[in-house]
Formats: sequence, structure tokens, C-alpha cells
Amino acid sequence: MSDHTTRDPIDRRRFLTVMGVSSAGAAALGGCSTGKVEKLIPYLVQDPDQVPGLPTTYASTCTECPAGCGLHVVTREARAIKLEGNPEHPINAGSICARGQAGLQGLYNPGRLKFPMARHGSGHREILWNEAIDRLAAELRTAGNRVAVISGAGPGTFDTLLESWVTALGGRLVRYQALDHEPLRLASRSVFGQDEIPVHDFAAAQFVLSFGADFLETWHTPIENQRGFAAARGFERGTVAKSVYVGPRANLTGINADQWLAPTPGSEVSLALGMANALLARGRAPVDAGALSVVLAPYTVAKVAEDTGLSAEAITKLIDEFAAAAPSLAVAGGIGAQHRGAIDLCAAVHVLNYVAGNVGTTVKFGAGVKGGDGYGALAALERSMAAGEIDVLLVHEANPLFTVPRAGGFKAAWDRVRFKASTSLFFDETAAGSDLLIPNLHPLERWDDAGGGRNHLAGLIQPVMEPVYRNVATGDVLLQVARKLGGLLAQQFAVPSYQVHLQNRWAELARARGADPAAFWREALQRGGVFGPAPAATVRLAGNITIGGPTQIDGDGEVVFAPYPSSMYYDGRGANRPWLLENPDPVTKMTWQSWVEVNPETAKRWDVRDGEIVRLTSTTGSIEAPIFIYGGIRPDVVAMPLGLGHSEYGEYAKGRGANALDLLSAQDGQGFLPYLSTKVRVEKTGGFKKLARTDGNPRELGRGITESIPASLAARGLTLKQAYEELGKGHHEINTERELEAITGFREAQVEARKFGDYAAEHPMWGMVIDLSRCTGCSACVTACYAENNIPFVGEADVLRGREMSWMRIERYFEGGEDGEPFKASIIPMLCQHCDNAPCEPVCPVYAAYHTTDGLNGQVYNRCVGTRYCANNCPYKVRYYNWYAYAKLAFPEPLNLQLNPEVTVRARGVMEKCTFCIQRIRGAQHRARLEDRPLRDGDVTTACAQACPSGAIAFGNMNDPAAKVVQAAQNPRGYHVLEEINVRPAVTYLARVVPGAEA
Amino acid sequence: MRKLLVAGVAVTALVAVVALAPPRSTSAQQPAPPAPPDSVVAPRLTVADSAALKGPKQPIFFRHDIHSGQFKMQCQYCHYSVGVTSEPGIPTMQTCMGCHLAIGGSDSSHRAEIKKLRDAWREKRPVQWVRIHTLAKHAHFPHMRHVKAMGPNACGTCHGDVARMPQVFKVNNINNMGFCISCHVERNVNRDCTACHY
Repeated sequence: MSDHTTRDPIDRRRFLTVMGVSSAGAAALGGCSTGKVEKLIPYLVQDPDQVPGLPTTYASTCTECPAGCGLHVVTREARAIKLEGNPEHPINAGSICARGQAGLQGLYNPGRLKFPMARHGSGHREILWNEAIDRLAAELRTAGNRVAVISGAGPGTFDTLLESWVTALGGRLVRYQALDHEPLRLASRSVFGQDEIPVHDFAAAQFVLSFGADFLETWHTPIENQRGFAAARGFERGTVAKSVYVGPRANLTGINADQWLAPTPGSEVSLALGMANALLARGRAPVDAGALSVVLAPYTVAKVAEDTGLSAEAITKLIDEFAAAAPSLAVAGGIGAQHRGAIDLCAAVHVLNYVAGNVGTTVKFGAGVKGGDGYGALAALERSMAAGEIDVLLVHEANPLFTVPRAGGFKAAWDRVRFKASTSLFFDETAAGSDLLIPNLHPLERWDDAGGGRNHLAGLIQPVMEPVYRNVATGDVLLQVARKLGGLLAQQFAVPSYQVHLQNRWAELARARGADPAAFWREALQRGGVFGPAPAATVRLAGNITIGGPTQIDGDGEVVFAPYPSSMYYDGRGANRPWLLENPDPVTKMTWQSWVEVNPETAKRWDVRDGEIVRLTSTTGSIEAPIFIYGGIRPDVVAMPLGLGHSEYGEYAKGRGANALDLLSAQDGQGFLPYLSTKVRVEKTGGFKKLARTDGNPRELGRGITESIPASLAARGLTLKQAYEELGKGHHEINTERELEAITGFREAQVEARKFGDYAAEHPMWGMVIDLSRCTGCSACVTACYAENNIPFVGEADVLRGREMSWMRIERYFEGGEDGEPFKASIIPMLCQHCDNAPCEPVCPVYAAYHTTDGLNGQVYNRCVGTRYCANNCPYKVRYYNWYAYAKLAFPEPLNLQLNPEVTVRARGVMEKCTFCIQRIRGAQHRARLEDRPLRDGDVTTACAQACPSGAIAFGNMNDPAAKVVQAAQNPRGYHVLEEINVRPAVTYLARVVPGAEA
Repeated sequence: MRKLLVAGVAVTALVAVVALAPPRSTSAQQPAPPAPPDSVVAPRLTVADSAALKGPKQPIFFRHDIHSGQFKMQCQYCHYSVGVTSEPGIPTMQTCMGCHLAIGGSDSSHRAEIKKLRDAWREKRPVQWVRIHTLAKHAHFPHMRHVKAMGPNACGTCHGDVARMPQVFKVNNINNMGFCISCHVERNVNRDCTACHY
């Protein structure tokens, strides 16, 4: 209790008093408090786009990572309440990841800068916007051409404006993305003479081989990759593409693969070249590939085995399988496997794809994706800064004081720059080190465009609401400053506002296509942009290709240190969003903390346990973090997620965890930052920290929760039971004879009960099907559920007590990984199963948990008295109890503006759980009734199903024979979790199909 | 400390009692089903009379009995979204001014009230009406479904005969679930808990 009250800004007594006498009823407070004097404040003029009570949706583009997915921003009463995927957008086709959805918590983040600020002594003080513009203009005037800009903005109108602005000043622009793909681009240049990052077609591939590329997490365009991967693995075609992951640590991509190979870090290039060599020898390669034989000839299977430490059989098997699949796809270039030889590895994989005939089919050039200027350009700027050649530095959409390793000289060079300005929305490390803070508007509050860097895509970004804080968009700041500076600059940037500039540029685009500018703009605004067909460029091998061999990892430590990008925090920008902090890491199920992954064997040798705090020391620094024992990592490697360990960046991020970058040297590795580049020493500190992990028991213990079926048997249409029999695995009868008797009796009683009262009428019967062949565990559904259903985050302390409120959670179970057993993992989304024979219902003393007429397991919050009997009786553990008034803690202003008005914000002492998005069901029923029509299939979808990039979730009316969900549920792969307890869930899972003949 | 807590609760309770207790006469005077509006002629009242009338005093002595009763304006003319969403829609200032640009009032007391509206409009300062019906936040009331089922003149079923109210007051306690349920039982329509509670 004391723990809880200290977190409360208002104590309970004062809270009661305030409640009684004022109308300060926050949205978080339910109850029939009729004693409040509330005011009804009308609009002055009706906004034609807004009808109170009806959502208005705007198309926009996501900027949370450079992928450029299309958004549908749902607004209610003129405030954004949910981000959804734009179904028309070719990259994400209606789905959206967890990071994208958490953009809302950037918009409403309590840590947002409310006004411009200037350095004042050791801190910053508020200034007015015209003062800020004057100040920046004055500094630029004195600086002359000694100006530089670091920008993380992707290609688009803003980027071109910024470039011409900087050029006009005579300064330098460095486009910098912390998680860029320079090695891949540089390899494309050296192998194909094509200076771009290719686009990959995962859906067409029959075999997906990744050399360290975390294509389901952060690599390139994660949602597009995942959509393709799910299509290749979803068994629609009756086949399933095999997937192999090669890297020192099995990340989410690794645990989704059928096989994880962990060669010696730095030696992957040898495997890729060895495979290419073998394919070339088999004569399947295009004719001009013959020139490669000189490069490839040394990489025999024996050499590859020696370099990588893999067995010759494993290598040969991989070659055989890869060669047999057409088309196949090999990818490389992930941050987590970015060592000094990363360009060689990417070049080797390009060669492998070329030899296998994949270039042009699954690996496509021509879209012109460039990424940033690379770490090399930043390092060059750093040298200029250190030499005192830069007087004014502007940082836009980047946080280099966090994302550049501290061991280098960046901070020292930064301090030599006379005047630094930051446009960050938040008080991040870079803002803290700046002299002038000119916070940009959030992308949901301003005009812009973004197309993920692809030539054929241009997505519009439009303001969907009034800004939360009255700041000025950086585009307008550039124009205003130019006007202040006068002269030629003012003439060149005479356009009145950035919005006009954007529209002018789109008018040019329209005219280039022979379209009417106004109509073109209007249509683009409605659709979210202009999406042309992807151009294709035919590429040929460049001459004189040289590819280096395996790389050594430096350092004097015992183990290799592998920092990897977290699928939640990305480059660290996600660390101030509670939705991402509390959404468990898909692999480790860790929340709110940093951790160090150690192989069980190594942990035994060191005699360390989960949570034991160790100190990692490299030649450049040392950090402390608790141990997480993980079977999916090489014994000679330790791994740590990037993105935490902020020294600023708001209350949620500041001081949380450790920054893995502190162990890296900032040395430029030929144009990129080598993340996998150092060995570390590990020593015990004697400290201990309980891990905030949400996985309970990480092993299934034979409970049959996740099921899989070999492709050869699934292709014959066998059910799980038949497959077990076929494999001779002796699937035992689920229920005994006496149990079956009871079950039959119960069924009869249930049928009887359905004849009475409201239940007798015809109703829909809501059901769900989740395809485990498609699900990757990415956890986009989890954040979608939080956003849709006003689920509060509980924070680290309460996660440690097992009190997280995730109505939808992803369960991840490990197999093997110890005592020489091969490591595997399986994944299953778990939510309320809406059992027909629900164990939670009969134990509720107040009928708060009951069965609705339309087959839902209802939970009536205002009835619930909090006995928690239902949660105790739930076999799936999907009921969550409000131990405290979490909503008060989770939605501080202005985060409360995000709350969905269609869903009750639950009070303390109430049980809650997945409702199958009942507000959406009721909403669809209302709409159908107003239109005098029956409910149709597709009218209702749940937030999780809508967000899912894999399309793994189907939802609908099981009583409608034409519904897609009914067809999906009839799939022979269907099963129910814990079927033997006869609770009759409404959620059917489809067993995961694994390639080959063995499950 | 304990004393403080009790005091706090007492304040809450007192306010709750005052607010919850309906004026005794309300239920007795429960209006009969609305008479044909033709017969309605709004009484002559001035703002000084508003204190004696039931219901909270509003910033402008807005006369539902004149608008809805005497002039037979449709409820939906002002409460524009009631037929399409759960929110009835509070008329925008522009809606008011649509008529009151021209209509200035027939006597001095009316003119004084309309002047308040015009001043507010000129100053771009919305009128802060005192809310009379507030549904508890754990219940959802789809206005549009009820208008659809019972027709556009059914508002009085819950809100009383507003056309005869010089000052609107609460006729029914909409937060009394029995009030909802009795009607749903009578008409044999959905009584599922999750029809409203979710």
C-alpha cells in the first residue's frame, strides 16, 4: 500500500474531498457521480468533418521508422485516439506494428516540450517563438557558412527543402539514421553497381535464409517483410517455405525460422560464399556468374566448415535445400550482426542471390531506397566539429548524443560547436545538450510527406488535430529563418508556409503526371498518397568483385558482445512510450528493464542465475545489467538490447536500464557503425535484480498449448490427431470414458438452457481463428489491444508482481537449448477464449461474469466486486485484476486524450479481460440497424486482427456459414488449447505447419 | 487524520444527497404523454422567474417551451446528431445565430437574453450550459438506436415533455438502471448486460 500511495500525486483522502465538491471528474473516474455540475460547451461553428460520437478517419503516413507505412488515424471529437494501417498502402496493406501504434504516445507524451527554450545557466528557460526564430537567425548570420545540420528525416519534401536551405547557407547536411543499412547499400554498389537497398519479396520465396537480418523486427521494412513471410509460411498454397536464420543469437526472426545456425561470429560470409560456390558448381547460375568462380572457388564445404565451426553435413544439407527451392531468398545486413565485415557479408549474400537466380524475382532493384548518408558522413562531420569548423549545428529528428557510442569523440566535438539547436519534441540527450530547443510539431499535427524512400511511393502526412502544444513545424521554422536572414535566401524561400510549399511541390508532381493539381492533391489526401507500381531495374554483376573473408572480433574479453536493436525501442526512440516499455520483448518476454542474455552452458560455468547483476567491461567502457539465461545464443556470446539507458528523454525513459552502446568504440567501419565488434569481460557484482518478465514458466511441460504439424501430413489434410497417429507419437485419448459421459450430459443441458429467455432467439455467435503458421509473435496485436481498450500500463514494480493487464498477450515457449538439445521456440497469442462452458462464469457471486446471448464471455465492470474467483478459475489465465487505480497512473495528462470514448475506463478493484472488442461489435450492430440491414461478414473486426501484419487472426460470426472465420475454423489443422478440460473455447488455433515430414 | 477522512466523506455524501434527491413533486407531476403541440403557448416569463422554476439556472434563460413548444421546432433541428450517433449533439453557436441574427426577441426580457447570445457569438465565447443529464461512464446509451426504434418524437420518453418546460429539469433519473430495464422489459427488447455495459 505504501508503495502505491507514494506514487500518487494526490492521496486518497484529498482525492475523496476533491471528488465530492468539484466537477474535476477525470475521464478515468467512472461511477454514477450525479452530484457534479458539468458544463456542456458547444462548438462555435460546426466542423464539417466532426460529428460528436462518430469517428473521423484521416489518411497519413507513419514516421516512427523509415519504412513509411500508411496510416489511418482514427479521431473522435477532434483528437487522435488510434492509429491503424491504411489498407490501400502497398507497404503495410492495412496492418501496423507496435511501434507505429505507439506514435500516439509520442503525440500525447507527458514529456513533450510545450514551448521553445534557450540555454540559461546550467538549464533551459522558456522563450517565445519569435525570440527563438530571431535567435537562430542571428546565430546563422554570424556563423556564415560554418553551419551543419544532422537530419533523420527520410526522403521527401522536407528533406529537399532542408537540403536547399543548408546549401543556400553554404553549410553541410548529414542525413543520419542510427539504424541504417549502409553495408547493404555499399554492397549493392560493389556487386551490382547499384547504389540502393533492394526491396525483397518474401511472399514469393520458397526458402528464406537470413544472415543476421532481423527482418521481422527492425530490418528495412518489417511489416512488409512480415506480410510476405506470413504468406510464404501460411500454407495457403499447400506448401510452406523453409526458413533458416544464421546469426550468433536467435532473435524473433531466428525463433520463427525452422532452423537456427550459429556460426562463429564474423564467419557468416564464408557460409554465404560457400553456398554460392556450390550453386555455381551445380550450373544453375546465370551465365555471367562464371566470373565469380575466382572469388568463390576457395570456399569449399571443408573451408566453410573450418571457418564457421558448423558441421559439413549441416552445410551440405543447407546447400541442398536452398538449391532445391526456386525462387529462394537470402537476406543480410541486420544491425545485430553488423560486424566489421558486414559489407563483405552483404556482398556475399548478393552474390548468393544472384547465383541462385533470385535477383529480379525475390530481390528487386529499382525502387531507389538509399537510406541516410551513413555513419561515415557523421564521423566526417564530427571531425569538422572537433576541428572548430562548425559554429552552428541544427539537429532534426535524430538523437546523436544517445545513438553514437559515448566512447568516441562525438560529445567532445559537440561541445566545440558554439551554438547547437534541436528540433526534438522531447527533452532527449541531444536537446539537453543544445542551446536552443525549437520543438517540432508531431507528424499527426503537421503537413509533410514520406514514402519510405521509394521512388514510386509518396505518402502524405496531414494534421489530424489541433497541436497539443502550440509549437511551430520545423519546415515553417526554416522558412521564417530564411525570411529573417533576408537577401537572396529570403527570395529563394519566399513561400508563405511549409504547407504551401508542400502543395506546390505536389502540384509539380501532378503536372508531371498530366493530372489536375487540385484533384490530384484531393485524391492523394483521401488515399494517403500516390502509390505507383514498383519500377524494376535489371542489374548485372559488376566487374572485379572482391569479397573479404571472415572477420575477427576485437577486444580482450572472454565473450563476444552482441548488442541488438529491440523490436520495441528501435534506436531508443521507443523508450519513452509506456506501451512499448510494457509490451514484452517478443523473445525474452522482458519489460521495462535492460538485460544480458547468456547461454545456459556459460551461465553454469560462471555460476550465475537469472537476475544476477553482472558487469560487462570492454576496452571502451563498462555497464551493469541483470543476467537473462537464454538458450538461443552461442555459448561464447552475450547479447543485450539497444535503446535503453537514457540519461534524459522524459520520465519513462530517464535512468531506465543500461545503454549497450557504452561498450562499443565509435570507430567508423568503412561507412557504418560496427555493432558486433568487441569482446567483453564479465564479472559478478554480487547484486541481484528481479527480472520483470511476463512469461511465467518459459516451457510448455507437455501441455500441448502450441501445436505443429509436418507439411507433408498437413498437405494430405490430416487433423492433428491423425498426424500424431501417423507419426507414431501415440496421441492419447483426451478424455476418459466417464469424462466423455459427463461432457455429453453437459452438452445436452446446455442445449436445453439455450431454449429460454433472450437466449432462445437467433443471435450471432462470435468466434476467432488464429493461424500459428502465420503468427510471428511480433506483438503488434498487444499494443493494438492496449490502444483500443484503454488498458493501463502498470509499470515495472507491478509487472514484477505479475499484475500486467495485457488482455492480449503472446506466449512464447522454449524447447531444448540445454544439454546439447537443439534450441527451438514456439509462439501463441493468448486472450480470453470466450468459452461456451466458461469456468469463470459459475463462480462469480454477483453475475459480473456471465455468458451473453451472442456467445461472448461478458464481464460487467459495474457489477464486479472484485472477489477474483473468476481469475482463479480461468484455465487460460486471461483475466486481469485492477489492483490499484492503474488508470490514474497510466493516463496522466495529456495521455488521457488518447482514451477511447467507446470503452469504459475500469476502476480499481474490478476484473477485466478481452471482450472481443465488444464496442466494435455493438457499433457495427448499431450501424447495421440504422441502415436496416443484417450484420454482414467483415462488418466487425477486432483491434488485434486489424493490426496483425501477418493476417493471422480471423474474427466473425460462427453462425454465418458464409463467414470467412467459419471456413477458417473448419481447417483440419484446427485445435483448441487445453481441449481436455471441455470449456469449449470460441478461439480455434490452427497448428503451425513445419516444412518436411517431422514435427 | 481520521477526522479529515470522515469530513471528506461527509462532504461527498452531502453533495450527493442534495444532487440525487429529486424535487418531491417531480414524479407526481410526471407529464402526461405530450399533447398535440398545437395547443402550446409558452407563458410569459422573465429571467427573474427562472429561480422559481425547476431545474438548474442556465447562463441564458433558453426557453425550450418557446422553441420546441410554441414554434414546434423539431428536436433534431438543434440536437443534430441524435439520429446518427450516441451523442445527441449540442447545437453550435452558429445554429443559434442562424435564426437569431434576424430574430431579436418580442419583449425586453427576451431581447436581453438574445443579446447575451449575440454578445457571446461576437466574442467567440461559447455559452457554458449546465449539463442536466449525465449518463454514468460505465454505461453506453446509443441515442440513434432509440430514435430509430421509437421515432424522432420519442425524446420525451426519457427527457420529459421539454416542450412545456420553460427551464429544463431532470424528469427521470437516467442513471437508475430500473428505469431503462422497465422499458426494455415492456417492449421485449434486448436485456443483455453487455448491450449497454462494456
